[in-house]
Amino acid sequence: MTTKTIIEFRQVHKRYPTGQLALYNVNLTIHAGEMIFITGNSGAGKSTLLKLIALLENPSKGDVLIDGTPLSHLQARQIPNYRRRIGFIFQDPHLLYDRNVFDNVAMPLLISGMPATDITRRVNAALDKVGLGKKTKSYPLMLSAGERQRVGIARAVVNRPTMILADEPTGNLDPELAQDIMHTFAQFNDIGVTVLIASHDHGLVERMKKRILVLQRVEL
Amino acid sequence: MTEKRPLAKPRPATSNNFGRKSRVWLNQQKQAIDFSLKRLWFNPISAWITLIAIALALSLPTSMHVLVKNLQSLTHNNQSVPTISLFLKPKVTEQQANDLAELVKSQPEVLSTTVVTRDQALQDFNKISGLADTLKTLGENPLPNIVVITPKMNDLGVTDADLEDFSKRLKTYKEVEDVQIDIEWIQRLRAILQIAERIVAVVAALLATTVLLVVGNTIRLDIENRKDEIRVTRLIGATNRYIRRPFLYGGLWLGLFGGFLSLLVVNIALLFLVDPVNKLSMLYGSDFNLGGIDLTTTLEVLTVSAGLGLVGAWLAVNRYLWESEVIND
Ligand SMILES: Nc1ncnc2c1ncn2[C@@H]1O[C@H](COP(=O)(O)OP(=O)(O)OP(=O)(O)O)[C@@H](O)[C@H]1O
Ligand SMILES: [Mg+2]
Repeated sequence: MTTKTIIEFRQVHKRYPTGQLALYNVNLTIHAGEMIFITGNSGAGKSTLLKLIALLENPSKGDVLIDGTPLSHLQARQIPNYRRRIGFIFQDPHLLYDRNVFDNVAMPLLISGMPATDITRRVNAALDKVGLGKKTKSYPLMLSAGERQRVGIARAVVNRPTMILADEPTGNLDPELAQDIMHTFAQFNDIGVTVLIASHDHGLVERMKKRILVLQRVEL
Repeated sequence: MTEKRPLAKPRPATSNNFGRKSRVWLNQQKQAIDFSLKRLWFNPISAWITLIAIALALSLPTSMHVLVKNLQSLTHNNQSVPTISLFLKPKVTEQQANDLAELVKSQPEVLSTTVVTRDQALQDFNKISGLADTLKTLGENPLPNIVVITPKMNDLGVTDADLEDFSKRLKTYKEVEDVQIDIEWIQRLRAILQIAERIVAVVAALLATTVLLVVGNTIRLDIENRKDEIRVTRLIGATNRYIRRPFLYGGLWLGLFGGFLSLLVVNIALLFLVDPVNKLSMLYGSDFNLGGIDLTTTLEVLTVSAGLGLVGAWLAVNRYLWESEVIND
């Protein structure tokens, strides 16, 4: 394992426009190639922390650094390029309901302008990995919540990101499937991908034997 | 131990970086073209309504333009239009008439001259009127020799004063009895056409704005319907340029196909006109023919309409992107 720091939080505060304080003085260092779990009660700020890394939100105070560079220094036009290196798995998977499973998963590859034949190969591989190889032609509304979540996972990993940020990726899955998905993440981690997973499934998290970060809800 | 790319920096340049980039660009263009055409195809009702609105808006200035061009062709040199006739005095001989024709031809305003002898004139008159018998009763041919002048319309200027001046000069020849000018109407027509051209320009500008608004609104509705999609693609790293592209193509197609449709409409309208107009011009002994839309005009209309579609889409998308710059999950 390399000890290079990839993500660093320096005295990060996040207050939403509503006045809700979601994160208070978070300091945190994550090494490149690490797999780490973020736990904490509902409302503790797990989703907020992941969104700050993906630049889906900006901190109210403090800095989030990637490879030693504060994200606040990134120019607007560099943001899309940065996001493409991240596979983000949303708590609510944000699928497009007028496109079938295949087309949903293909989106990141289309954005990077990959030729159609490569896209087919990669998408099918990603869908096989999450056990949806037979549902490529289905539409999201025809799927169960767990299947939809797995489509979101396939979409996040299809572009071979260097960093996977997963927000409750196993929330709607049965224990066996949840275990499988965690192993898939572990496989990505084995080939050097940095993986951050927010989860409140304590049993599952502890079985993975990785570093665990516990967020406490901000009490005023 | 695995080598990792820096996150916030572009991938390192390789020798075939340019080739890779242009291939990516091509793939993205192809994708956007595919996608935008499919959207047109699968939303036929809204697409057709927009296309017809564009076609109607464009066909008015296009048909006016064609009409003005046709009328303008009447005032050009090469059209055998009515001319200036010099009626010569009765005692002037054919030889003298020919000499005069030569002389007049050397004037800068004159394109060509022909002599119509009194015998020819009589024959023509007979042919047209069938009054040969009546004329025979006169015993002698009463018609004079005539020099017919085809002027250079462009050099003669457009003012009545020029024409007056020219006719006065012609009258000074001693052989000339009378000058009959048949070109005043052309000059009037020219003046009218100049005004008409202005009107066409104004109408074209107004209707171009209409096209811009129609396309802009269609694209805006399309964006409205696809807000989710735009948001999600943005979340997974789409650039503004990527998001914009299919909409721009969408606008381009609307403009281009709308332009095609308007050409079709104008051509059909012209078909209705061709027969009666040509009959009319035959009755006047003119070889004027109603011209259709030539290649230049066709290309002009298509370029302008495609351009308007593109600009309309551009305005709509940019307004949206500008408004939604703050990204919230
Ligand atoms: N967009 C928002 N606007 C205002 N407040 C927000 C927003 N998103 C989150 N919050 C608030 O910030 C706090 C942290 O939210 P967050 O979603 O990060 O929690 P979480 O740990 O992911 O919870 P859960 O386990 O339920 O997903 C909560 O109190 C929440 O109400
Ligand atoms: Mg959450």
